[in-house]
Amino acid sequence: MLTVEGLHVRADAVELVHDVSFTIAPGERVGLIGESGSGKSLTALSLMGLLPEGVTASGRARLGERDLVGVPESRVKDLRGRALSMVFQEPMTALNPLMRVGAQVAEVMTLHGRPRHEARERAVELLERVRLPEPGQIARAYPHQLSGGQRQRVMLAIALANGPELLICDEPTTALDVTVQKQMLDLIAEVAPALLFITHDLAVIASMCERVLVMYGGRVVESGPLRDVFTRPRHRYTQGLLAASRLTPRGTRLPTIAGSVPPAGRFPSGCVFRNRCPHATPACETTPALTGDGHAHACWHPAD
Amino acid sequence: MPTHAGTPLIEAVSLNRVYRRPRTSLTRPGAAVHALRDVSLTVGRGERYGIVGESGSGKSTLLRLLCALDQPTSGSIRFDGQEITGRPERRLRFLRENLQIVFQDPMSSLDPRMRVRDLVAEPLAALGLPAGDRVNELLDAVGLPAGAADRYPHQFSGGQRQRIAIARALAPRPKVLVADEPVSALDVSVRGQILNLLADLVDELGLTLVFVSHDLSVVRHVCETVAVMSKGEIVETGPVDDVWAAPAHPYTRALLQAVPTLEGLL
Repeated sequence: MLTVEGLHVRADAVELVHDVSFTIAPGERVGLIGESGSGKSLTALSLMGLLPEGVTASGRARLGERDLVGVPESRVKDLRGRALSMVFQEPMTALNPLMRVGAQVAEVMTLHGRPRHEARERAVELLERVRLPEPGQIARAYPHQLSGGQRQRVMLAIALANGPELLICDEPTTALDVTVQKQMLDLIAEVAPALLFITHDLAVIASMCERVLVMYGGRVVESGPLRDVFTRPRHRYTQGLLAASRLTPRGTRLPTIAGSVPPAGRFPSGCVFRNRCPHATPACETTPALTGDGHAHACWHPAD
Repeated sequence: MPTHAGTPLIEAVSLNRVYRRPRTSLTRPGAAVHALRDVSLTVGRGERYGIVGESGSGKSTLLRLLCALDQPTSGSIRFDGQEITGRPERRLRFLRENLQIVFQDPMSSLDPRMRVRDLVAEPLAALGLPAGDRVNELLDAVGLPAGAADRYPHQFSGGQRQRIAIARALAPRPKVLVADEPVSALDVSVRGQILNLLADLVDELGLTLVFVSHDLSVVRHVCETVAVMSKGEIVETGPVDDVWAAPAHPYTRALLQAVPTLEGLL
């Protein structure tokens, strides 16, 4: 249903996302994992046509028969919020503080041609669908009167308003408490038609997705079925991330990945991970291709 | 609760903190919010004490009281045998020298217009202590390059900024380090580096650590003792391994079940 082929994102001379390709089938839940600065949010924003000024995407991305990248804004606007929609990380900045939340849910429907009174009624139904208590009252509340979890549910109601084919969630639970996070994840899993779920938290994605893409330095370095990738990681970066996600007993050293993610444009040539990789050799100065059917990896010295 | 030789380092007894909501009527006072209800805790010397709770549980209020950044409505806090509640700021110098804090978000806790050298030396200047070569010593201890001193916070990554915040907290050679969600804003790969660094420093310097987190699994890695907070009360306390293995309070059980984990899958 969603097909991305050779997606590149650039800001002037700096390449931020390099040759990203993947597909999402109807009903499929795909996870996009990576640290801050790996290019995962830019990938999502380029699908939504929401890249910041000065940042441009090229390549092909199609939702069904419709192109998403390299088409005029008028076409993207027609799809955004209808055929595909997105839940952002920070509900406090994504919601309009001066508008009642019911009106914000209704707005996305009137924008796509639904009559006003009908949109208002449907907004309350949607707030009920995302399990907000007393949806009629919540619809009249302003964002600041709601808790973080409630605000994120409102964001989800907005995203679902026009019955999208694909839902993109960018770190939707990072700002939430663990018990609230669990409810929110269960809800997303239940209502998402097809899902692209972005996070840096591997444990969160383990409960949500069937397939994962691991991004680092603007490239997909490993992809495959979640269980395969998480139990038998091939790329050394994935291996490091998994090791770092497990908390060892007290008094022991936590495994870490050496160094930190370089700023955009400062990744090494060849394999983007080679300056932090314990297995790097001169061979890594040449860029490895993403190879393998099903479970693919881009590494010269993969783990077994 | 494990107590060490002599008096405990921090002893809080029956702390209550009531806030008033802004009034909504001319004739009635604003509603009272009980942020803390009858909270008592004891932190021994050299202990690693974890406080777990979600937003609104009162853990930040408790922390502010322990650091004397706020005063309790009732109750007492003794630090190293001395009462710290009800004292004016000028009589809290011994506390400021001996207890320092690392905050959650190194983006907002470091002044963007100050160089790292001045940021790290600021607690010393505030206490009137000589800085000498202390800044370089501290930057080295937290694993930052010597050249870091002349740069600004925005030139560092999140993990490096948290290292700067730790160096700053350690400047006056405190006995107690209070860490308020020090790794919540960091990526997983960096989280391990900071937790390892904290463990090393606590060992080397013989610090007492008060570690606040919403994540019980992180507290289990770091601390020996844990207090679980909910709705302004400590609902469960004890050795963290016992609480982890056999949570007694329903809230602790809910908290444990909600933590996403890789273990079930792998």
